[in-house]
Amino acid sequence: MKRRGFMGLAAVGAVATLALAACGGGSSSSSGGGGGSGGSSGPSGFNAAVTGVVNPSNTKSTGTLTYGLSSTPDSTDPGNTYYAFMWNFTRLYTMPLMTYASSPGSAGLKVVPDLATAPGTVSDNGLTWTYHLKTNVKFEDGTPVTSEDVKYAVERTFDRSLFPLGPSYYPLLLGGNAAKYPGPFKDRSKNLMGLTAIATPDAHTVVFHLAKPFADFNYVAAIPQSAPVPPNKDTGANYQLHPMSTGPYKFQSYQLNKQLTLVPNTNWNPATDPQAKQLVSKITVTMNMNANDIDNRLLAGDLDVDMAGSGVQAAARAKILSSTSLKAQADNPISGFLWFAYLNTVVPPMNNVHCRMAIEYAANKTNLQTAYGGPFAGGQIASTVSPPNVVGHKSFDLYEATTKPGGDVAKAKEQLKLCGQPNGFTTGIAYRSDRPKEVAAATALQQALSLAGIKTTLHGYPAGTYYANFAGVPKYMHQHNIGIAFGGWAPDWPDGYGFFDFITAGNTISPAGNTNIEELNDPVVNDLLAKYGTTTDEATRNSYTAQIDMQVMKDAGILPEVYAKSLLYRNANLTNVYVQPYYGMYNYAVLGLK
Amino acid sequence: MAVWRGRTKGGARDAAAPEVTDTSAPATSAMLDVRDLKIHFPTDDGLVKAVDGISFTLDRGKTLGIVGESGSGKSVTSLGIMGLHHGTNAKVSGKIWLDGEELIAASAARVRELRGDKVAMIFQDPLSSLHPYYTVGYQISEAYLIHNKVGKKAAKQHAIEMLNRVGIPNPQTRVDDYPHQFSGGMRQRAMIAMSLSCNPELLIADEPTTALDVTVQAQILDLMADLQQEFGSAVIIITHDLGVVAELADDILVMYAGRMAEYGTSEDIFDRPAHPYAWGLLGSMPRMDRARSERLIPIPGTPPSLINVPSGCPFHPRCAYAANTNGKSFNEVPPLRAVGPGHQAACHLSTDEQRRIWGELLAAQLSVADSDQQREDA
Amino acid sequence: MVTFIVRRLIATIFLLVVVSMVTYAVFFLIPRLAGQNSYQLATQYVGRNPTRAAVLDIEQKLGLNEPLWVQYGRFIRGLAFGEHYNSGTSSTYCPPPCFGYSFRSQQAVWPLMVSSLPVTISLAIGAAILWLVGGVAIGVVSALKRGTLFDRFSMGIALAGVSLPIFFTGLLSLALFSYKWPIFPNVTFVPFTQNPLLWARNLVLPWVTLAFLYAALYARLTRAGMLETMSEDYIRTARAKGLNERTVIIKHGLRAALTPIITIFGMDLGALLGGAVITEHTFSLNGLGQFTILAIDNQDLPEILGVTMLAAFFIIIANLAVDILYAVVDPRVRH
Repeated sequence: MKRRGFMGLAAVGAVATLALAACGGGSSSSSGGGGGSGGSSGPSGFNAAVTGVVNPSNTKSTGTLTYGLSSTPDSTDPGNTYYAFMWNFTRLYTMPLMTYASSPGSAGLKVVPDLATAPGTVSDNGLTWTYHLKTNVKFEDGTPVTSEDVKYAVERTFDRSLFPLGPSYYPLLLGGNAAKYPGPFKDRSKNLMGLTAIATPDAHTVVFHLAKPFADFNYVAAIPQSAPVPPNKDTGANYQLHPMSTGPYKFQSYQLNKQLTLVPNTNWNPATDPQAKQLVSKITVTMNMNANDIDNRLLAGDLDVDMAGSGVQAAARAKILSSTSLKAQADNPISGFLWFAYLNTVVPPMNNVHCRMAIEYAANKTNLQTAYGGPFAGGQIASTVSPPNVVGHKSFDLYEATTKPGGDVAKAKEQLKLCGQPNGFTTGIAYRSDRPKEVAAATALQQALSLAGIKTTLHGYPAGTYYANFAGVPKYMHQHNIGIAFGGWAPDWPDGYGFFDFITAGNTISPAGNTNIEELNDPVVNDLLAKYGTTTDEATRNSYTAQIDMQVMKDAGILPEVYAKSLLYRNANLTNVYVQPYYGMYNYAVLGLK
Repeated sequence: MAVWRGRTKGGARDAAAPEVTDTSAPATSAMLDVRDLKIHFPTDDGLVKAVDGISFTLDRGKTLGIVGESGSGKSVTSLGIMGLHHGTNAKVSGKIWLDGEELIAASAARVRELRGDKVAMIFQDPLSSLHPYYTVGYQISEAYLIHNKVGKKAAKQHAIEMLNRVGIPNPQTRVDDYPHQFSGGMRQRAMIAMSLSCNPELLIADEPTTALDVTVQAQILDLMADLQQEFGSAVIIITHDLGVVAELADDILVMYAGRMAEYGTSEDIFDRPAHPYAWGLLGSMPRMDRARSERLIPIPGTPPSLINVPSGCPFHPRCAYAANTNGKSFNEVPPLRAVGPGHQAACHLSTDEQRRIWGELLAAQLSVADSDQQREDA
Repeated sequence: MVTFIVRRLIATIFLLVVVSMVTYAVFFLIPRLAGQNSYQLATQYVGRNPTRAAVLDIEQKLGLNEPLWVQYGRFIRGLAFGEHYNSGTSSTYCPPPCFGYSFRSQQAVWPLMVSSLPVTISLAIGAAILWLVGGVAIGVVSALKRGTLFDRFSMGIALAGVSLPIFFTGLLSLALFSYKWPIFPNVTFVPFTQNPLLWARNLVLPWVTLAFLYAALYARLTRAGMLETMSEDYIRTARAKGLNERTVIIKHGLRAALTPIITIFGMDLGALLGGAVITEHTFSLNGLGQFTILAIDNQDLPEILGVTMLAAFFIIIANLAVDILYAVVDPRVRH
């Protein structure tokens, strides 16, 4: 998913952080935490929840599971949300067609059927995908779920003015009248059930007609947007206040952006939903909490889960890493994000690949890692574009990122000679000025490049309009001679296509809101990405990941910095705690209490 | 000797003025008997001897005028009589008998009971001395209610009566007005009404007319005289204005630097003053019957600091006759001596000297024989 | 007195209108002056990653390309009658009083603010009572016992209270009394109607934190006021009448010293009702302050506009109340 826009706030809390950090503990140790290793083999200790299930249990509890959130959800409406933690959380009250397996480790990267009985059946040269629905699934009021409810759920996401926040794959991929379909709210008599791209031949079959073959469609079906919505209960913008549940819990009350309470859904049939569990009597989410307050309550045992799932703040991190007992209850997973810099392939002299390679060599990876928060909170130094949890990922290192993480000025200068700029060149660096980590990274990069003779000017922009008006506008970048732009990326689904398409495909370059900011237009890459759509064999498809990765790195279109990691703290009272690798945080669908 | 033209009241004072010796029991049957009153304030700069040995008596129905410059200790004396020094860090010694009851040794609670009831006070500036947030009627009622167990309505009715008594027109409406809604003279009348509301036996008026203009002054003084006759209370008027005192006082006490300078009937003080300070006061007093061309003769110098009172006679730095005392003025504190029946002065000059100087040097200038007697330009 | 109130009411209404105009102008005019066109302005209403169609839709619904005075007229009409946001293809209705429509959360701004009000009101009024009573009491005693140990001690604490920032005292109180010793665990807002005891218990720490700051200020102010008042002539008169000391202090002294305190109190309470931003953020209370922070963080202009106007409204009304109260207390003002 395009998670580049989301990270915690706490501007006010920054000062508070300093206040509490003083009371906190010592500094974090710089042990090189690897991706999933480092913990003891039993189901306890540091990183235990990354590789295994901590406190496995099916015992029901009468307690209340409490979540805290330092911001607010973009929406609790499954058709209108893009945040990773919401895609995780919605499985407590919705069943999309497919979902990610509830399991730690690489098994959790697979999509498995949820509302559907099996992955979609492909026919018609890849243009038709058919899903059969489980027959005994009901909404919270006892109404049985039918295929029309699924079709309607997809239809409503077409109304981008009412639901602007979720992903927009369906309008892109579906055929029929999808290109012009305005959604079921306008002209309801005509448009309700009017999307010709979806057919419902019977009450338990949904048929999708695509405009072009798209082999990754099961991943699209795993997005919460496919969770069924009964048309006569759809209150539009207010649906978020009480979505009709098909999951183990249902909404009891929701004070918008303040407090959400869920209670068990008595009409949920556990036999139909093995990926989720119904183990507690109540779930509450308190929103808009102070981020440091959340951490303190977690550590004090007053709060069970930090819903954002992106890790504790600096003050708590210091406390946890310096205490053996607290560290034993922490996990340091890869979150699935890559922090990196786009190296533009059009702005001279960076249109010469050797100039870009010079940047790859000159960059000081260790300093960049520190800028993002060090090995625990920042991440692992990256040498590839795809993080380790992308299916098909292979590790390689073209520019000594892991062997000489401090940078190699000599090799950089060699490359400069090759691109005809022996004394270096000048270009601009774009970054988001309200993201302290990015500010630090930009400064670190500037310093490292200057050692090789590459002079850079820093250009900071506000995060809200960074992509809309600056980095995402190629003309602006050319006009201002900005060859480097910082960014972050996490895939909407964990395979090569999901990761690479938007950021490396030649045909995604657009004049505004551009995501292929390095403006890479490499036929090798384009060709491989196109093949994703048509190749049905999984193993072959997954091999493309490494190939695309290698090609992009050969083109030096991207300077990878770190595979983001986060430091999570797990409350000792929780059962079934493990990191779901796709979300990069604890699996909310199965949590229980002792 | 010329006769002072003014209201003569003929003081009915005992010929034997109590000289300050025995302080164990009231020597007279006077209503108020103050004996050797001393009020000292310790401050960071030193001990302020605001009142340093004052004695006087006062009968019912009589008026005592205490005269002196600002800083002479006259106001502090009245505060001492009211017992308002309780709670401050003042050191008070001496005796004050009010109707046979000694006040200085009395408990704070007892003195508070007497305040407003037996002894009442009116102050100089009625605008700042009345609470701006409460109606005049409320403040008068309040005074009444402290000492009388009556209902609020009765108290208010009494307040209206008092306002009427002091000559405020439309008292029923004015009783609900606030102090700032009264003119200066009316305000002072209201203050008088408030102080008399409990029919006190002793009324102390501290500069009651200083803040008022001349026409109103006369009215207020007349009012006070009438009320005194009617209520039969004793009155102490504290002022720096001899003209005020001339109107009302039976006896006059002249204070200087916290001490008694001269004490006698008003006739004594005006016709035959014995203390050079009193001579100066009379000379520096503007009078209607003096020819306009005559200059006032101010007393040279400024009032002394009460922390560092000059040695010997406190007046000696400003006295034209200090040299006539063979140096005693510089070293010895002059004792309070009788210079006539019931007339005392604290001066080293012998009585003969005083009479001579007064008679020869100053009587001609200060006395008024006839209005058509010509005056030379001084 | 009545004419006084009427005069002030008219002035208040006039002031409210002016404030609404200025606020509106700031939010809509300044981006224009900075060179933004209405399309770019509209992007700030649609949340992150908007599609072009969504932006155009908003632009039309909000009438962002209309002249400013037309927009302002719509806004005022919306306050009275509600507003239809019509873009031709779709329409959204915002019932009166319409302070704007947040397209980010797809909700009218007014109900969002109203739902945050109970928290802020509970916080503000509870703290206000604490600080007024506590601050004034300490100030009075300090003034009466000037120079003693009590005076020096309490003024020292007052200095600390005034100097220490709220997020420090708040975090400290949380660290000690919520996390370390669970005397007040889980500070969350429980509505009064739901559970009055828990409502009060959960608010103790925020109340005390907030009140500490203001109480310190009020103690110092009261002390200064009392010292001045107690040296006034009418206090001497009151004592001369024979009133007992307690009546003198309270009825005559404190009554007069309180008038400036009342003025400040009204202003403080009015400003606090607009949202105690730092306190609410520190204690994770979802009042108007948190609402404001969230609105700013999301760059949700209708919400920011709405909360600004509401806060201004509170302050203006508080001003009016204080003026009237002042006239009630001090009769000299009435004439």
